[in-house]
Amino acid sequence: MIKTVFFTGITLIFFYIIWIHNIFAHREKYEMPAQYAKIADDVKSYAKEGKQLFEQNCQACHSVRYDAVYISSVQANPKLQTLQEKYGKVLPRDVYEAVFYEDLMALKQSFGKVPPDLSTIYLVKGKEYLFNFTLEPQKVLPGTSMPAVMTGRPEETAKIIAYLKSVAEPSPEEKNKRMLMGVGTIAYLIVMGVLLWLWRGRILRKMGLH
Amino acid sequence: MLGRIGRWIDERAHLSELWQSQMVDYKVPKNLTFPYAFGIMALVAFAIQVISGIFLTMYYQPNVHTAFDSANYTIMKEVPFMWLVRHVHAAGANFFLAVVYLHIFTGIYYNAYKKPRELTWIVGWVIYFVLLTTALTGYLLPWGQLSYWGMVVTAEIPTSIDSAPIIGKLKIGETISIWMKGGYEIGQITLGRFFGLHIWLLPLILLLLLSIHLYLVRAAGISNPEGIEIDKKKEGVPFHPYMTLKEGAYVMGYLAVFFFFVFFHMSHFLPADNYDPADPFKTPAHIAPEWYLLAYYTIFRSIPDKFLGFVAFNLTLVLLLLLPFLDFSPLKSARRRPLFLIMFIVFVISSMVLTVLGTMPPTPTNALLGLIFTATLFAFFLSLPIISLIEWGWYKARGGEKK
Repeated sequence: MIKTVFFTGITLIFFYIIWIHNIFAHREKYEMPAQYAKIADDVKSYAKEGKQLFEQNCQACHSVRYDAVYISSVQANPKLQTLQEKYGKVLPRDVYEAVFYEDLMALKQSFGKVPPDLSTIYLVKGKEYLFNFTLEPQKVLPGTSMPAVMTGRPEETAKIIAYLKSVAEPSPEEKNKRMLMGVGTIAYLIVMGVLLWLWRGRILRKMGLH
Repeated sequence: MLGRIGRWIDERAHLSELWQSQMVDYKVPKNLTFPYAFGIMALVAFAIQVISGIFLTMYYQPNVHTAFDSANYTIMKEVPFMWLVRHVHAAGANFFLAVVYLHIFTGIYYNAYKKPRELTWIVGWVIYFVLLTTALTGYLLPWGQLSYWGMVVTAEIPTSIDSAPIIGKLKIGETISIWMKGGYEIGQITLGRFFGLHIWLLPLILLLLLSIHLYLVRAAGISNPEGIEIDKKKEGVPFHPYMTLKEGAYVMGYLAVFFFFVFFHMSHFLPADNYDPADPFKTPAHIAPEWYLLAYYTIFRSIPDKFLGFVAFNLTLVLLLLLPFLDFSPLKSARRRPLFLIMFIVFVISSMVLTVLGTMPPTPTNALLGLIFTATLFAFFLSLPIISLIEWGWYKARGGEKK
């Protein structure tokens, strides 16, 4: 009995540490005021506005390819439409980088590297980091070539983050659907497990093996 | 109608006879404990990986330019329900390895590797090794930062042979490293060969080994938690329905936990850093292999000499393979072997601590802790012959077979 408790206990603790919450791993934490966190999380109300703000402030250098948003010079290029008719709205990365090589290289000349595509940046960095970095790039990442475009505009930054979240994550309706699906699947498996167990008890009693 | 078709097939294929002889007349000990279900859970996990993997291959593109987008856009956003398949495959890989580890530790605890089951253990070890390779090759495919840099670090490990005194001059390590990558750097050729290995060659080898493993389990009979071979005709219970329904219920519980992770907690199985496309010019801050390799990685990392570290972590694997021969005691199962139980606990705790240490930054304190727990890990293996000798003494003193 004590052995069972001991081995189950350490196994559960072990998997809790490595799979759920690693209390030993070092992680950098960034803070974000609650009112702006609320905006960044509310995809439904602010994603649209955030997209407009993105087009005004970020699109000169950054693309969001998964939303078919390309850097401004590409967006103005008539070739884009022809390509989109052929390959679909979201262009394959190799096609995009090959056809618009010159536009990307022009950006590389001014910034030292091609500014990254922001399709999945929300998933990589999280809203707190993005908020702090966009407001004061030099403070968070000294030496970065990202200009301080959004300094002093926290609310608009939060709206842009809401837009990036809407691109990276499934929509709220989709999330609800997935949650229902998850609860349904888990409930089904548990019910089936219990039924199987009860049925087994009955069969074994009949067989005299219980 | 269906019944008639069934009878028609049965008359020709004799399936019901096969079922009767292999499932019902096949007797197993009645006292099998919960950990015995890890074997069937591993089988279920393998089936899940194969099925979800087939669907993933339909949309995944093994090309350095499009691999990342095919995984994160086509699969995750464009095609309906493919997100679920990817979640299942990613979580499934981790669950598969977790269950296999639990299965291995169960085998060690109940001494299931002893005569007449040495061959089952050896084939199981090969499965474990091939499984690690499969996991490693699959990890590169999403072509994210972690995939890429994890493989850069892994492909560097064989080069530590070259820092050995004499054989280092032959540059064997570098050759292995180049052979792994298909060139001097990780690129299209690496991705192509890893894709090929991951989607058909390694799974086929796994399937073959799995069949041999299952056959051997049948041939030698299931071990007993008490460590005594039972007379199956008298004491055994029919495998079906006694075991099938019991383990079926356990598998339902296992799947419930599995789907909890699939739907609600994917942040470990699809880590944030891997949503960043692979960039050979940007080294991420913390590079460590996946959790199932961390214990070996910590052993490698804590030993100051590179070559010795390489030898040490390979020695762990070899000792695991040689377990049936290191432990030649006549007694079976930790239930009847107090000394073995103590060393088993030492072994479990050291492998867990080594894994957790692997997630921490390599400070001098952590390196020292790593060395200490490497020592205790090896102590388990080295203590086995000593314990066996002592137990032979007890066994003789009690007059052999009598309990």
